[in-house]
Amino acid sequence: MNDTRTLFSLNALPRLTRQFLSGMCGIALCLGVVSTSQVHAADELAANAINAIGDFTVFRTDGIQEQLEGKGSLPLYEGDRVKTGKGSQALMEFTNGVQLALNEDTDFLILSRWEQSKGFTRVLRLATGEVWVKTMGGPKPLEIETPVATAAVKQTEFNLKVEPDGQTTLTVVEGIVEFGTAFGTCPIRTSTISYGNRGKKCTKPAPTNVSPNVAWTQGIRQ
Amino acid sequence: MNQQLRLTTPLLIGVALFTLANLTGCSALMPTPKPGGLNTRVYTANESSNTVTVLDGDNYKVMGDIDTLNYGAHDLALSRDGKQLWVTNLANGRVSVIDTDSLKTIASIYTGTRAHVVALTNNNKHAWVANITDNTISIIDTSIYRILGTIPVGKGPMGIAFSRDGKYAYVSSQDKMVNVIDTTAHQVIKQIPVGPNPHFLTLGPDGRIWGTNTGSNDIYVIDTTTNEIAGTVEVGPAPQQIAFALKGTIGPNAYVTVTGLNKVVVVNATSPTLSIREQIDVGEEPNGIWANAVGTQIYVGHTKSNNVMVVDTGTSQILATLPVGRKPIRVVASR
Repeated sequence: MNDTRTLFSLNALPRLTRQFLSGMCGIALCLGVVSTSQVHAADELAANAINAIGDFTVFRTDGIQEQLEGKGSLPLYEGDRVKTGKGSQALMEFTNGVQLALNEDTDFLILSRWEQSKGFTRVLRLATGEVWVKTMGGPKPLEIETPVATAAVKQTEFNLKVEPDGQTTLTVVEGIVEFGTAFGTCPIRTSTISYGNRGKKCTKPAPTNVSPNVAWTQGIRQ
Repeated sequence: MNQQLRLTTPLLIGVALFTLANLTGCSALMPTPKPGGLNTRVYTANESSNTVTVLDGDNYKVMGDIDTLNYGAHDLALSRDGKQLWVTNLANGRVSVIDTDSLKTIASIYTGTRAHVVALTNNNKHAWVANITDNTISIIDTSIYRILGTIPVGKGPMGIAFSRDGKYAYVSSQDKMVNVIDTTAHQVIKQIPVGPNPHFLTLGPDGRIWGTNTGSNDIYVIDTTTNEIAGTVEVGPAPQQIAFALKGTIGPNAYVTVTGLNKVVVVNATSPTLSIREQIDVGEEPNGIWANAVGTQIYVGHTKSNNVMVVDTGTSQILATLPVGRKPIRVVASR
């Protein structure tokens, strides 16, 4: 009547066994905490696409394709590939507060890097096209890879354009961007432009009018 | 109260022990110091267990396994100072970086679909990773783990090796070619026709690039001054990987794992023309192979029996057989 003992009750076991199991549980608990450190976050929300003009398609890792038309909220995950068509644009917000606009004919992958000392860094692999990026609400580590260079930022606003041959043009609207190729790194500051070409160090920053690099985003950001 | 104490004390001891083990970097994996600076630590990439097994190559002991925190550990590259071990993970396209002091994975970088092999540039500043499905080589800065460029190459890049002077990188690809890349321009400047499914590539002690045609039964060497094939020799079906070692006064010799024969075939590496010197019986499906720094022992991984055999190259006798993780593809040893 009062027998509430279950098969896995600790009280049903000898004292030494209970102590041993208790100790092992402590170790297992710690191991569990450590081993849950994932080095890729495929199922974690990375961003939301919130506006699209024209053709904007997301290619999921399992082959599923989804589209956004007009304003809305389309979740984006690690490993997703996003593309805009001719005359199309899109706007997305990353979960870490980075806002990103895609110009026409843009194609990139959403990735990440994990380091024991730093945790996750959001990485975007821009195959071709043009993006405008603005970090909001404090420093946000973000890197954009192109076929010939990588732009690493924390708190800035910039525009990055990749030609079909990989040539990359970086224009910094505000802040500082660490722009590097395999042949050297150049810090690029507010209102300057630099080019990355295959087999060469990025060019020295030159003053430029940044207005056109922001103007194309006005429609999609409204 | 006493009952609670009896239960919670061992729990706290367990937590303390685990914390201590973590802080000290897993002392069970620490190497045994050996005078003369010739300690040989051997690593295997175990594709099906997603781990790297660490072996004491001098005392023939298993030191432990390291979780790569990724899937499909396939190839390995060890930095010259032995501090960093780079691991490709075929299944999820990422590269793991292992700190060989703490024996832990410290970084994970996505390179491309089916990341196959990794090679470090001669100055160790960059890691080059071949992505089979993307037909690209990713170039990673080894100090900040950032990808700094991507080089398009032939279909299905499989193996990478650098010339002695570092001016050229050689990339074998599934279109039966070896792509020659000018490392100062990151451009493919030549394609050298080789055989079916060219796979492994390595720099030989003669300064030539040695490669296997895994889809065939031969190996080849490339003269890096002309970037032409300088010789080939048939070694048996499905040759896999190559290491260089000595047999007493004879050598250096190329030791080739030949999966179809379950043998290591020894090829003369001292003359311009290639010839077979001997064959050594090993286990089933030998694949990864590496020699110790002084060239007196080779370590042969077997993908079927999940072990590494230590072979004395002086007598061609097997000295030890050590269990490793499932499907060891690659074996490397400290210099």
